[in-house]
Amino acid sequence: MLEMKTHRAGKIFLAVLVLSIIAMMVVVGLGYMETPEGADPILLFGWMTMPLVAGVAFVLVWLIAYLIYFFKYWPYR
Amino acid sequence: MVFDFIALGVFSLIIIVMAAYGYKLSAKTAEDYMMAGRTIGVVVMFFFVLFAISSSWTFYGFPGVLYLHGPGYVFFIWGSVAGFAGLYMFLGPRLWALAKINRFLSPIEVLAERYESKALRVLLSITMLAFIIPYVGIQPLGVGRGFEALTGLPLWVGAVYTSVLLIILVILGGMRIVAWVNIFLGMVYVTALLGSLFWVVSIVFPDAGLVQAATTLVEIDPAKLSAPGPLGEYTSTLMIGTFVVGLMAFCWPHVVIGVMTARDKKLFRWFPLLIFVFGGLFFYIIPFIWGSLVAPAALPGVTSVAEADSIVQTVIQTYLPRWFAVLVLMGVIAAAVSTAAVQLMTSSIIVARDLVQGVIKPDANDKQITAIARWSVVGIVIFSLSVTVAVQIGAGEEAMALYLTNVSVPGFAQWAPALVGGLLWKRGTKQGALAGTLVGVTYLLLGMLIKGADGSNILFFDLHPVVPTLPLNLIVYIVVSHLTPRPSEQIEDVFFNEVDDYLRSERTV
Repeated sequence: MLEMKTHRAGKIFLAVLVLSIIAMMVVVGLGYMETPEGADPILLFGWMTMPLVAGVAFVLVWLIAYLIYFFKYWPYR
Repeated sequence: MVFDFIALGVFSLIIIVMAAYGYKLSAKTAEDYMMAGRTIGVVVMFFFVLFAISSSWTFYGFPGVLYLHGPGYVFFIWGSVAGFAGLYMFLGPRLWALAKINRFLSPIEVLAERYESKALRVLLSITMLAFIIPYVGIQPLGVGRGFEALTGLPLWVGAVYTSVLLIILVILGGMRIVAWVNIFLGMVYVTALLGSLFWVVSIVFPDAGLVQAATTLVEIDPAKLSAPGPLGEYTSTLMIGTFVVGLMAFCWPHVVIGVMTARDKKLFRWFPLLIFVFGGLFFYIIPFIWGSLVAPAALPGVTSVAEADSIVQTVIQTYLPRWFAVLVLMGVIAAAVSTAAVQLMTSSIIVARDLVQGVIKPDANDKQITAIARWSVVGIVIFSLSVTVAVQIGAGEEAMALYLTNVSVPGFAQWAPALVGGLLWKRGTKQGALAGTLVGVTYLLLGMLIKGADGSNILFFDLHPVVPTLPLNLIVYIVVSHLTPRPSEQIEDVFFNEVDDYLRSERTV
């Protein structure tokens, strides 16, 4: 991690990961995992519940950021 | 019943033969036994770590909580995926390089040398053992429940069967064969978990599969399809807390130690890919679908914690032929053994390398500490079986999932500041690490022991145990480190500058 703080790409990578964690907490905190009053639960593709959707999106953000940074910019690569 | 025992006998025999083969192959040195000779490549490492993490918890505890409370608990998984990947992206390369350059055999040894403190070595060893050994005991308990549900035999039969298998595997095989056996066990487990899911869905929801399962749930119990769940448990605060607890996965000792067995630094570039794609986007979604969607739609109405813990197996036994249930039980045994074996290896290394050679008998030679590591396995297994005994006599009925998140993880978290600071913060001092860990562990233990009139842990202020204890530990670590003299230049050279040079050097690839 120390090596990531020594260059711009590393700082951006760390910032993306931290922001994704904050975003996840904000989305959960704002109540997007809950069913709106009087409505049916929100299901993507007819079966994916919101906690699953949020998690998959979170993992995808980490995956993309990791692929770009570790294969292009990581100083120890 | 005869078929069950023959199948389980063949399964055990494969594991025993692999362990014996590993014993024949091994170089009989401590480094070979404890660190697999530092030869683990990325694919073996992935299965090794994934199935070290994926215990019987993924078959019983995790779907059990989802079944009762809806999908909110899945945030533990999202946090864990980030935590495991974070270990390999942020801490792993440095820990691996340090261990390789200095021939360290345990992560606690790394920290003891980094902080130049024998007292810290003892404190961390005892803390990690105290929280890992009961977790080892959870695994035979899971198998015992599976045995009980399938064959009607008492809980202890499955627990003893698993324990014997574990002892043989770990004593003979060491870390290398534990890693290799995890590939076999992992394949059995994935086949059982995924195969049963496809089969049950095709039988119970033949028209539209998962969509039909979700539609059924919308009709019978829609609260199970969103937070906070039917019992109102998984509020936003608890989900965020659960996510944070998941992030602490980077400091599970049996996962951290895996980093030190890596063959080269290339592993750290590729490993997160497997964690994200195979772990986060595939493997953990299988038990999630089982517990949050298929089981509650196929077999609604279960309300007790113990029955919910076994819900996947109950569904399988209800809808699939009996012979397949045996395969599933093998999958559960595979999951339990793969996790407990790594935990046992970790515990025995801590006992032999950190407590015996590090403190009690510093002149113990290579052969002696290998022998001590091997034989301490027997003691640890017997001790960990007390968990099964406690459940058998009715003294401990906490849901398996919550044991992991509420007891083991908070314990593992207490070495996180010393671990992260030791590897990444030059200013971290011995006094800071000792004070922070001591304060965190003491607070955690007192918080667990002191109960209010309603049975709640009043010292935790109704929060998850990690939430108040870890920040206090961290603050004490930072403040005391700043108030005490900075580590010597030699420590800075060995633990920071040399490691950085080594990792940048192409020769290490």
